[in-house]
Amino acid sequence: MNACSRSNCFAPETTCDLGFFDRSNCPSWKGRVESPGGQDEALSDELVLPWSGSALGLVDLGFVAGCKKPLVVGVAGPQNAGKTTLLAAWYLLVGRGLACSEKRKFAGSYSFGGWEAVAGSLRWTPGLLPNFPPHTTSREGRAPGLLHLAFRDADAQPRSYLFADAPGEWFQKWALNRDAVDAEGARWVAGQADVFLLVADCEALSSANMGSARGSLQLLARRLAAERADRPIALVWTKSDIPISSAMAVAVREAVLGTMPDAAEFSVSIVPSAEGGADKGHGLIELLNWTLNIRRKPVSLPPVNATSADPLFMFGAR
Amino acid sequence: MRAKSNSILIIGESGVGKTHYGAQVLKRLMKGDGQLRMDGAAINLQPFEAAMESLNEGMAAGHTATTTYVDSIWPIADAGGAKGELVWPDYGGEQIKSISSTRRIPSAWRVRVLSSPAWILLVRLQQTLVSDDIFSRPLSALRGASSENREVRISDQARLIELLQMLLYVRGAISSERLRTPRLCVLLSCWDELSTNECPTAALEQRLPMFANFVASTWDRPMVFGLSALERPLSPHNRDTDYVARGPEQFGYIVLPNGERSPDLTLPIQRLLVGDV
Repeated sequence: MNACSRSNCFAPETTCDLGFFDRSNCPSWKGRVESPGGQDEALSDELVLPWSGSALGLVDLGFVAGCKKPLVVGVAGPQNAGKTTLLAAWYLLVGRGLACSEKRKFAGSYSFGGWEAVAGSLRWTPGLLPNFPPHTTSREGRAPGLLHLAFRDADAQPRSYLFADAPGEWFQKWALNRDAVDAEGARWVAGQADVFLLVADCEALSSANMGSARGSLQLLARRLAAERADRPIALVWTKSDIPISSAMAVAVREAVLGTMPDAAEFSVSIVPSAEGGADKGHGLIELLNWTLNIRRKPVSLPPVNATSADPLFMFGAR
Repeated sequence: MRAKSNSILIIGESGVGKTHYGAQVLKRLMKGDGQLRMDGAAINLQPFEAAMESLNEGMAAGHTATTTYVDSIWPIADAGGAKGELVWPDYGGEQIKSISSTRRIPSAWRVRVLSSPAWILLVRLQQTLVSDDIFSRPLSALRGASSENREVRISDQARLIELLQMLLYVRGAISSERLRTPRLCVLLSCWDELSTNECPTAALEQRLPMFANFVASTWDRPMVFGLSALERPLSPHNRDTDYVARGPEQFGYIVLPNGERSPDLTLPIQRLLVGDV
């Protein structure tokens, strides 16, 4: 497959970056290097789509961000904390209609393939056992996968959200060294996210390694506090069905709420709740509603220093 | 109804019942007791000849060949006397599956998507499932289970929504407001398989909740009807004696949004073309 000479263009898999409907008219496509021995694919008249359905990469974002910047949700936490499981559980709740209400309805996603891959491990297919999603391995230098969801409010406003699904190792490296070379992805999330979810793993905090788990969470909390600059943050206790000692809970709360007193706190678990009715885990829908209700702060422009009352001469060098 | 050609885009995968519905609609138009009726005689009835023959004999119609795509043009008139032409397609459902899986839209389909003012999406609820997931079993059953490689098979709801997203993109109908065109009608086909008395919207929300939400968010006033074109399963080999005796025109119903049944199979089409709620 001959790739386009522009580094940002992934034709012929997706549409031409410059917008040429017929690729053969695009000067960058014409200027590409032919691979030796490769055959030029027959120019079919089929239309390709600008999104592939998998988790969005940084270049793919242009398609969903073109109209309005989606709200970016950064899920940060050490490895195995349950970040991917949280996202997978949300997708399954949306799929079962439990996350939507009269006030907010699901309105589509451009990364169904990515969501289904993340949630596939939690879903029963005949003959296979569900399992937690496979450990997302750290891929140095590559961007985290962004999963897209759109919702429409009761007042007919559509809103897009991007959920960053990143390996925990990135955040651990970033917590230690803000400028670490292989924490590029964590820096991207820290820079772009509009809301942070700091995941505290109850299972790790009650296991034999609870000391080092607490230590890495404290480092991450301090780093987030320094980098977040007033953006909303929530402390999320995952696997909350596993009890942790009160001393540990106090230590973690002190680390998080001490540096970020406005942080919200949630406990989530995928274990079904005790009372009957629809199985929706515990705390997942509340956390999702809180996240979806976040709005960016409006930008306030500085006051105008006008030199004259006449609009034509308002901004001048006099 | 306008006097120009009204082409309906029918979207349905293999096995949802496009051919049976088309044949039954044709027979209802010729019978003439519904909202729409045939105005004179259609020039060419050949595309549905085989299906009508099978139904006359009380047998299921054969599978439409994959590469077939034939438009039938039927002159129709509505109850008020306004006349027009209905363009009704029949095609092999594998074409839709191929669009979904290869994510490429052939240019012939692109033309159809762009030009049709109304879309009918046929969904056979019995064929789609919402898979069971982790919430239906206790967590303790999972500990110790080893992770295996599994291929990701996209769920039915996601596949349907992605198909509609692709067609909307091709049409350029991505907007921050709910869509008024193209008008959408979701027909829940093979309704008799469900053995339920729910109203169609509730049945859709219960079985395909994410898809129902998507349709309600994206379209201004989508219509959801239940459809049973045949009223009972027919075999491709054994005759159904009732059908032979009474004729297929006596069978088939749609389920209105309030749950009532009506034998008028042309009602959804009339509502779509006129733009009524």
